[in-house]
Amino acid sequence: MSDGGRESEREPEKPARQKRAGGDELARAASRLAVAQICESQGFQTFQHSALETLSDVAVRYIYDIGKTANFYANLSGRTECNAFDIIQGLEDLGLAQGFLGASDIEHCLANSGTVKELVQYVDEAEKIPFAYSLPQFPVAIDRKLTPSFLQIGEEPPGEHIPAWLPAFPDPSTYAPSSSRIERSTEPPTAKIDQESRNRKVERSLLNLHQRLACSGLEGPSVVNHGDATKAKQAVGSNPFLAAPLQFGEKEVSPVLLPAKVKLLNEATMRNPSMENHGRDNHVSVLEALAPDIEAMEIRLLDSEEKEKEGLLNSRPAVQFKIGIGRKSLGTMHDLSLQKKSFEVTSPWFGRENEKDDKKMRAEKILKESMGHTQELGHL
Amino acid sequence: MNHNQQPGDGTHEDDAALSDFLASLMDYTPTIPDELVEHYLAKSGFQCPDVRLQCKARQAAVVKDKRDKQQKDKRLILTMEDLSRALREYGVNVKHQEYFADSPSTGMDPASRDE
Repeated sequence: MSDGGRESEREPEKPARQKRAGGDELARAASRLAVAQICESQGFQTFQHSALETLSDVAVRYIYDIGKTANFYANLSGRTECNAFDIIQGLEDLGLAQGFLGASDIEHCLANSGTVKELVQYVDEAEKIPFAYSLPQFPVAIDRKLTPSFLQIGEEPPGEHIPAWLPAFPDPSTYAPSSSRIERSTEPPTAKIDQESRNRKVERSLLNLHQRLACSGLEGPSVVNHGDATKAKQAVGSNPFLAAPLQFGEKEVSPVLLPAKVKLLNEATMRNPSMENHGRDNHVSVLEALAPDIEAMEIRLLDSEEKEKEGLLNSRPAVQFKIGIGRKSLGTMHDLSLQKKSFEVTSPWFGRENEKDDKKMRAEKILKESMGHTQELGHL
Repeated sequence: MNHNQQPGDGTHEDDAALSDFLASLMDYTPTIPDELVEHYLAKSGFQCPDVRLQCKARQAAVVKDKRDKQQKDKRLILTMEDLSRALREYGVNVKHQEYFADSPSTGMDPASRDE
């Protein structure tokens, strides 16, 4: 009893595996088993894998062929259900290659057919070996849970063109995009919330900045574009000062600080290859000479900020650098020029006043110092 | 020879024999399970309330196939070679791709091989 129970227990595993692999997997495994048992009864003790597979494949195809032929004969007689004679005829058809007794008789009664006689012979002689496992009925038909129709739910279909007997629409929450602007789907919800608040802060600061710039007349009527890099670029093409601010939704970043410096740094260090600045090369050649100096300071500065800032800056258009006395101009957006014609290292762009003013002050100081160096080196 | 001589009796006998045989099949448990046979018959479009004849036929065929294998050792191993040879008689062509180092005669024409 325990053996039988164990054996039958193994069967449930197979259907589970089989559902994934397809309906045939279980059947093939079972046929392999059956064929192996038959071979064993004939005296074979071991099998080559490929040989066993081939033979089981042959057996399966034989069954299939018998079924097909028998069905064919039944249909020929105008029936849909096969009977024994159809099968016998099928057997004859398939056995013609091998030959059986009385194959050449054209008018023999089917019941007398040589194939049947051979079968009878076999049944009498062979020992009965039952199949080792108890197979369940397969393939198992899965009950589909149909989506209820509008009528069944009691809902009104949204729109006159939708009849009520159609299945209802899925819950909007399943397909509506999430409200988070940042495309970080793997973050836990709490982190998302933090980001959201940070985004809002950033947005607010940006807006302030925009207002201020607008007042100063240097900022055009740019809109805060969320995730619209192309638009910004277009705007930049026409008028660098009218460029839309960066898509701040992309990077979790406080407003830009020292874009020129950062750009320079990035170019020098080749940290972000994905920048799209045209005509930077000239800058690089000049500035590379003085890069180490600036780098050291900038790295320190940058690290204190976030990496995203670089990213933010990277997506901005080319920077025009003007090597000269550091001009502390609030609200100058020098870095928004796509066409750069000269090597100019603009003064650091301290235009954006934000909550990190103290850092900016620090940056300015450092820049001034570096600018001093730059001027010296620039002559080289 | 001519079964039509006594159609009534002859067929009756044959039918009786057949029905007896079919009845005897009820007791017989073929090694190939019924569910398996039913599955493949369903695939082929075969519709029949009972399939015992099928199982029996199948098993008989396989056994016949088996018997044709040549005996090599005391310990019988079902090898691809023997199988392909036996199957060729039935019109099934299974040529097994040989590996390089299987035997010195690898790749040679099977007919010319010394067995």
